Amino acid sequence: MRKLFAFFRRFQVFLLFIGLQSLALYIYFSFMSFPKTQVLTSTNIVTGKILLVKNDVTKLFNLSNSNLKLQRENIKLRQKNPISFIQITRNTVKIDDTLFHQQYEYIPATVINSTFDKRNNYFTLNVGSLQGIERNMGVFSDAGVVGVVHFVSKHFAIVKSVLTADINIDVMIEGTDAFGLLKWDGTHARFGQISGISNDLRIKKWRKVVTRGGSGLFPKGIPVGKVYNISSIEGQPLWDVTILFSEDYRKIQRVYVIKNFLKTEQEKIESLIPEDIIE
Amino acid sequence: MIQFIKHLVRFVIFASAQALVFNQLEIDYGIQFMIYPLFIFLLPYDLNIFLSLLISFLFGLTIDSISNTYGLHASSAVLIAYIRPHIFKLFEPRDSYDPGIELSLQTMEFRWVISVFSLLLLIHHFWFFLLEIFKFNELLFVFQKTILSLPFSIVICILIQTIFLRKTKMK
Repeated sequence: MRKLFAFFRRFQVFLLFIGLQSLALYIYFSFMSFPKTQVLTSTNIVTGKILLVKNDVTKLFNLSNSNLKLQRENIKLRQKNPISFIQITRNTVKIDDTLFHQQYEYIPATVINSTFDKRNNYFTLNVGSLQGIERNMGVFSDAGVVGVVHFVSKHFAIVKSVLTADINIDVMIEGTDAFGLLKWDGTHARFGQISGISNDLRIKKWRKVVTRGGSGLFPKGIPVGKVYNISSIEGQPLWDVTILFSEDYRKIQRVYVIKNFLKTEQEKIESLIPEDIIE
Repeated sequence: MIQFIKHLVRFVIFASAQALVFNQLEIDYGIQFMIYPLFIFLLPYDLNIFLSLLISFLFGLTIDSISNTYGLHASSAVLIAYIRPHIFKLFEPRDSYDPGIELSLQTMEFRWVISVFSLLLLIHHFWFFLLEIFKFNELLFVFQKTILSLPFSIVICILIQTIFLRKTKMK
C-alpha cells in the first residue's frame, strides 16, 4: 500500500496531466461522434451572448453586400408574383386549392459564428428551439445549401456545415440525373466532392449540381454548385467529381432553416422497408 | 496579489482575443493564428505545475466554448503547460533563471525567446492539427498546416511581446 502511495506521489504531475488530457480528449471525441456536451458549445447562453455581441459589431461590415443579396432575391421573388404577369385568359374560375399542400416552411436566421478552415466546420445560428428549430433540419442560403442543424438550445442552433468530412447530403447533377453524396476533403472552402457517381455516366463540366431531396432535409433543386473537374478513381468504377460551391462559405451571413411538414410521414413509411439481413 | 490580477486580466484578454479576433482571421491553405500559447508561456516559470496545468485546462476550455472546438484547445494547452518546465530546463542559461522574473522578451535574450517559444509552438501546433484532422492518410495536410501556421503565430506573438509587455520590464 505504501508503495502505491509512493508511486502516486512520484508520478502525481504526470497523472494530473494524463487526467486533464483525457478529459479534454473525451470532450472532443464525444462531440465528434455524438452531441452530448451542450454545455461547452456556443449554444450555451453565456458564449452565445458573447457571439451575439460580436456579430452585432461585425455584421455591419457586410451590410451593403447582404443588402445586395436580399435585393437580388427580392427581384427573383417579385418576378414570380402574379402582379408581374399579364393575364391572358379572363375567364378565371376560383378554386379553393386543395391540390397543393405546403410541405416546406422556411425560418430566416443569421450566422453569428462560423469557420471555414478547420477540418470540420460548424456554424452557429441565432435561432433555437423557441423559433421551432429542431435537430436534422436542412439549412440553405440564397446561393446554395449550407448544412444540417446538428443541435439546438433555447436561443441558438449549431449547423454542421457542408464543409465537414461526412456531411453526406444527397445531390444530383442536373441533366444527367446522376446522384451521389456530397463530401468535403478539407482543403479549400470553395471546392467539394461528390462520391458514388458511376463512371459509365457522361458528365459535362459546369453542369449544375442541385439537391436531390431524397432524405427529406432539403426540397429538390436547391443549388449546391457546379461540376468543376472530373477524374477517374483508379481501381473503382466511379468518377471523382470536384464541384465549385455556389455559396462562398467564407462570407455567409443570412440563411434559412427548412421545416418539412411531411418529414415524419416520410420517415414513418421508410421505416417499413425491411432491413437487409446481414450474413 | 498584483501578480494574480495581472494574470487574470491576461487570461481574459488572451482568451477573448484568440476566440473573437484571431480565430476569425482565416486565410486559405489552412493557416491559423495562435496567440494563446503566449499566455501559458508567460505564466511565472516557478509556478506550481499543478496550478499551471489546471489554469491551462480552464483557459483552453474557455476558448473552446466560444469557438466551437470542444476540447481541442484545452488538450493542446494542457500539453504545452506540461512540457513547458522541461523545455525551460533544457534551455536553462549557465547561471539559471533569476527567481521571480518573468521570462519574456524584456528579460531574456532574443535568441532564447525565439528558440524556446518556437519549440513550444511547434509542439502545440502539431498536436492541435493532428487532433483536428485525426486521419493518418491526411498526415501530409497536418504537416502543411503546422509548417505554414508556425511563422505567422511566432511573428504575432513576438510583436505582442514587444508592444504590450514593455511596462512590466525590470521590477
